[in-house]
Amino acid sequence: MPAEEMGKASRKLRLAFAISSVVFVAVLAISPLKDYFAPWRQYKRAYARFANTRPDTKRLLADYHSGIDQIWIPELKVVDRCTTCHQGITQPSLMDASVPQPFRAHPSIPHHALDWGCVVCHRGQGLATEVREAHETTLGWEQPLLPTHFIQASCGVCHQSDIPETPQLNRGRQLLVDLNCFRCHRMNVSERIYVPPPDLSNIGHKASREWIYKWLKEPRTILDSDGNVVTNGYANEPRMPQFRLNDAELRDLSAFLSTRQNEPLGSHQIDPRIVAAWQKKPDVADQGETRFRQMFCTTCHAVAVTRAGQTQLIGGNIGPELTKIGSKVNEDWLIAWLRNPQSYFGYAQMPRYQWSDEDLYKVSRYIMTRLTDSDLLSDVPKMDPPTPAEIQAGKQLFVGKGCANCHGIQGIKAPKEFGPDLSAVGSKTVSELMFGDAKIPHTLVDYLRSKIENPTSVNTTAAMPQYHLKKEDVSALITALLSMTRRPDAPAFAKLVVRATPSKFQPAGQFGELYDRYKCYLCHQFNGYGGTLAPDLSFEGSRAQKAWVVSFLKNPQTLRPASTFRMPQFNFTDAEASTITDYLEMVMQSPQVNPNPDNSSKTSPELVALGKQLYEVKYQCQSCHTIGATGGYVGPNLSNLGSWMRPAWIAAWLKNPQALVPGTIEPRREFTDQEIQALSAFLMTLKQTPTSAKAGSAAGGSR
Amino acid sequence: MKPRRLCLLLAVLALALSGCGTKKSTAQPDPLLHAYDVEPDWSNPDHLFYLNYQQAQGKRIFYDKCVWCHADSTPAGPSNRSNLNPMPALANDGSALNSLSDDYLRNIITLGGSAVSKSAMMPPYGKTLTQDEIQAVIAFMRAIAQPPYQPPARPGPQYSTR
Repeated sequence: MPAEEMGKASRKLRLAFAISSVVFVAVLAISPLKDYFAPWRQYKRAYARFANTRPDTKRLLADYHSGIDQIWIPELKVVDRCTTCHQGITQPSLMDASVPQPFRAHPSIPHHALDWGCVVCHRGQGLATEVREAHETTLGWEQPLLPTHFIQASCGVCHQSDIPETPQLNRGRQLLVDLNCFRCHRMNVSERIYVPPPDLSNIGHKASREWIYKWLKEPRTILDSDGNVVTNGYANEPRMPQFRLNDAELRDLSAFLSTRQNEPLGSHQIDPRIVAAWQKKPDVADQGETRFRQMFCTTCHAVAVTRAGQTQLIGGNIGPELTKIGSKVNEDWLIAWLRNPQSYFGYAQMPRYQWSDEDLYKVSRYIMTRLTDSDLLSDVPKMDPPTPAEIQAGKQLFVGKGCANCHGIQGIKAPKEFGPDLSAVGSKTVSELMFGDAKIPHTLVDYLRSKIENPTSVNTTAAMPQYHLKKEDVSALITALLSMTRRPDAPAFAKLVVRATPSKFQPAGQFGELYDRYKCYLCHQFNGYGGTLAPDLSFEGSRAQKAWVVSFLKNPQTLRPASTFRMPQFNFTDAEASTITDYLEMVMQSPQVNPNPDNSSKTSPELVALGKQLYEVKYQCQSCHTIGATGGYVGPNLSNLGSWMRPAWIAAWLKNPQALVPGTIEPRREFTDQEIQALSAFLMTLKQTPTSAKAGSAAGGSR
Repeated sequence: MKPRRLCLLLAVLALALSGCGTKKSTAQPDPLLHAYDVEPDWSNPDHLFYLNYQQAQGKRIFYDKCVWCHADSTPAGPSNRSNLNPMPALANDGSALNSLSDDYLRNIITLGGSAVSKSAMMPPYGKTLTQDEIQAVIAFMRAIAQPPYQPPARPGPQYSTR
């Protein structure tokens, strides 16, 4: 090869070498450059700049270094690098909203972030160092961040019994029970006061085929313009959801149900003399309405009232709403039911009242003639008597649609594992969910919301019926569902779980019979078991005087004119009232209250006068309590306190109300012993003569 | 030969640089999803205040203990407020409460009205609520205040490293 050609070639070679060197250096530089410009490093530098604008720079930068930060808790298997960018989470001075994210401090909560890490509550990926991978669902990492709106779900992973800090979770858990979700889906629900759906073995006595057709088609019969009826903040939604049934299915199911008359109707005769005497009187229904109101049926049952064009339900939601009940039930069935609900089905939760035939006749006439709607069944097609083929097809539908999961019925067993297992639904990854054609973001939260709001949105053949829920309730349900997760596999977690402590109060003996008969536990708490509508009776024996309890049971009154809820008039017999009173006095006692009141507890006119002065001037108790006609109505009316409460209870209460009734709103004060003596002496002088005793109340007793 | 090499070079560079790009999500998140709880503006129910954990705990305690006298409607119906003389401040009344410091509010809640020369009708809650709970109630009142509450201006940097 000639020399000049060699030189030419080597120049070419040198050029190629130079170019490839530059490329090589450039490629080498990419990696450190990429690292230098990594978003997390930018956040670190931004934090340092931000800290320099704050007065406490030194403290904010005390632990600062340029690398990745992480919280490492081996026993919980926590490796969370979130603090690489969220650098201020433990700095109390960075709490307020003016601090830009991601530097803001974590709000103060009972669990410190450094002890628990971040992912335990917020989910997302603790190991990730990129914004998107840490927060969102990506191909490799499927657990997105839990929106703060549902964060209470994470509390529920360990706290399996309700805690006051998580109202949304508690509501959701209650709804999972109230709406009978747990009857089709496998899930862990803690024991709650709950009214189970009725047994249908004898529904043929109760309602007509036409009514059943209508109910199955559209269980909601009272709606306002928005499609909701609201009472005292609670939607009074029938617990029966809407099934998507066509006309033929409705005919078959109604044929099957309307022929269920397994046992003859219980005793339903009203003394013919009473009927003859009242039948012709024009005001029998009016008198029945008065009795209905006096007995406080509305404490459990709501009735719609239309005022100024607005429909509102007045009353509670323990029992079904009764506005159109007269168009539903057969009068013979109604009388038999009112006399003895448990004879219709054993686990009925309606108390068995003591009725006089006269009252029973009046109230049943009121229900059958006034609580009606002549248009209710107008859109139900004419149907001939049920044929055996229809009945057979209806029976198959009853099984196929899962009706037997909620409703007991003779001869049909509830299918097992009817709906999908939801006991770990909170751990489901996006790839385990079927979104169908739904145009929703592919996340677990959106899936659950879509499914609850419209079960067919993600699966057109879904068996799940349609519920009509308020937005808040959907959020509450999502929260409760997200709280049901697979346990993290760190053994330390098993120790952290705060299990629900099921407590059942089931007294025996004569009181036990009355307790079952009148369903005291639906409204009252007994040693942690029972409803919350009425005062806790756990310490009633220490609180109330015996004579007062008897008179209250015979004629329950309340002093809260605002409250629509009062104890129903059960018409207790003397023997029953005395059994209940004796039991309360013997058993429902507080260890904090001296059961043998000190006879030497002195009272004198001077002490009473001092107590009155303390009450009216120094402590101004009248801002919340009423005596006579003046005072506030936050606490109970004290006009008859001297005949109502025991002096030992009053003294213990003044010392520390929360020790007797946890969570009571009466504030704990720092009274001296002498002040307590004086106040007790004064309060015990407050008595009303029995004839005018209208103020003695239990409804206000605990709060 | 040359253009092909250049192409290859550019492709390698483009591939390497593309890794540096970051994706930015453009969708605006629903503020409700980032709130522990919400409280409607008492004077305009369509307007919502989004509450964090502390404010939400304050709301819970407020609706248990305070609402009876410091709001015009209560979960049980009518309020005790109009029954009292002097009438207690509404908890969202910014014009009355914004000028009071957190310390003052903490004192009146802890020690009662008579301790700060106000009406003895306001009872002390220092033995019923913890200091954290009282602070949460104050945080809730600040969150729902109308006109809105502005925290006092932070003292400027006293020292700086630069």
